[in-house]
Amino acid sequence: MTLVISLVIATIFGSGAYLVLQRNLIRVVIGMILISNASILFIIASGLSRGRPPIYPIPDGVDVSDPLVQAMALTALVISSSVTALLLSLVYRLYVSHNSVDLEVISEIEVREAEALERGEPPGSADPTRENNS
Amino acid sequence: MILLSITVILTWVVAAILALLDGRKPWVGWFAVAGQTAGFVSLCLLAARVLANGPVEMVAGGWPEGVGITLRADALGVAFALVSCAVILASLLYEVIVGVRTRTFPALVLFLNSGLMGLFLTGDIVNFYVFFEISMTSAYILAAYREQNYQIRAAFVFAVVNLLGSVIFVVAIAGLYHLTGSLDMATVADRVKGAELASTVSVTVAIFVAFGLKIGLFPFHFWLPAVYVGSHAPVSAILAGALANIGSYGLLRFGGGILPEQSTGAALVLLILGSASILYGALQAISRRLPAEVMAYSAIGQAGYILIAIGVGGQVGYAAAVLYAIVNSANKAVLFLATGSRGRLVGAAFAVGAFSVAGVPPAAGFLSKLVLFRAGLSVGGVPGSAVLVALIFVGGALSFIYSFQVYQKTYMMTPGVEGQEEQKPSPLAVRMLLITLAALVLLGGFWPEPLLALSDAAASVLGGSR
Repeated sequence: MTLVISLVIATIFGSGAYLVLQRNLIRVVIGMILISNASILFIIASGLSRGRPPIYPIPDGVDVSDPLVQAMALTALVISSSVTALLLSLVYRLYVSHNSVDLEVISEIEVREAEALERGEPPGSADPTRENNS
Repeated sequence: MILLSITVILTWVVAAILALLDGRKPWVGWFAVAGQTAGFVSLCLLAARVLANGPVEMVAGGWPEGVGITLRADALGVAFALVSCAVILASLLYEVIVGVRTRTFPALVLFLNSGLMGLFLTGDIVNFYVFFEISMTSAYILAAYREQNYQIRAAFVFAVVNLLGSVIFVVAIAGLYHLTGSLDMATVADRVKGAELASTVSVTVAIFVAFGLKIGLFPFHFWLPAVYVGSHAPVSAILAGALANIGSYGLLRFGGGILPEQSTGAALVLLILGSASILYGALQAISRRLPAEVMAYSAIGQAGYILIAIGVGGQVGYAAAVLYAIVNSANKAVLFLATGSRGRLVGAAFAVGAFSVAGVPPAAGFLSKLVLFRAGLSVGGVPGSAVLVALIFVGGALSFIYSFQVYQKTYMMTPGVEGQEEQKPSPLAVRMLLITLAALVLLGGFWPEPLLALSDAAASVLGGSR
């Protein structure tokens, strides 16, 4: 059982890490979701006992699963879901301003904007995607 | 203990109210300043009690000891809480005087503060993680403050990298729980001694990686310059002067307090990484031009000094680490706030901060460098001490160079030279605030006893493993 859980955690974490290294920001966010879920699985797996759900009344002589790790996992879930929402909103903000979610395209546009600023042009005029859009 | 709960909860309540209000209105901003000041005052009272009578403890929710979540204020936590709270107060004041641009700014700053207070004053490792996430989440949003496009990208990178750090930290917490069956810091520290070496070493590595990321240490520094440069001056001051304290505090609390044997074993690694950070940060800072960029790389170097002090360990090393972290926060606050303002006296404030970073007397930075020298000398073996002291000296000399390069470029303008159009000076109140901060840094150098006593008390909490 321990081996299976470890393998599952490793697979999820690995896939998440692979996605985080992508250029597409949506994939980065999905990778972060996978990685945080791997850590939540790890928390659950670190429980000290296994058995029935720890809900009163508990019959005598029956093992219950560790309730503390479940509380911890719940906390971590709430945090990771809210931070995911924040990340997605940042990606959306980038998409609105650059019309792209590709990290390399975005940095290219930023470099061009910086050069335009140095030449004294108003910001945004060197942004071809925005011109096409409007 | 009523003071303890007030310190943790007050700014949170004020922040929750502020979240409903429009932060751009001046009275809302001043309300935030009032809330933060009240939090700071109650923290000062708490600190006075802790330093006089020893740690204050309470178990939340009326649960029996060992079951409920413990809040514990000891000298170490209080020292870090004091300096972070003060830096946040100064930055908030700065922004309110200059004019808040978005409606959420005051609420976010106070949320960040309440997260930090909880984190420094908790005795429970999961509680630590939760408070840590409260302040980090506020920081992610603050990093995008003012909504320039490049700031959003910096904020995104900042959030992703620090989330990875948080995940690693959570894994370490789960590991500690599995090893010890407890979440209370004192109990964990007690029981982890009997645990298997292989498991505790991996937990220690995870903790060091997580906090190394937060503090912006050399191999984990890559996110830091973009964020500090992209951010608005008060936000950079909060990030560098308050949020970075999480890293130093976490390393001290978890490395020195909970896993002392493992961190003694890792001393060499700490010293090497610290040295690499110092040299890398200083050399990069010299090659940069923008003041904010120079200060960002300087922050990497300063983190290295703290790591070296932790690596030296023992009462002397930990005291040096605490002192260095406190003084560094004050320096960073002065420098980042000064880079954001213009006008007479600002240059003077910047010069004081720069002197302090370079470790020139009489600024407080001299004191922290001195204590660090003492820690370096206490390392066993002449060659080790010699290398450390030489390194600290070289680092100081390099920081002297980059600080004054920036000073020269930014403030020593010859009138009439092209490309130096007169910038509108900042309001007088802002400049007075800067001068007050700079005066505090100077005072720390002229009258070092309180700082020394505070850092000694903080280090004796950790016991000193050597």
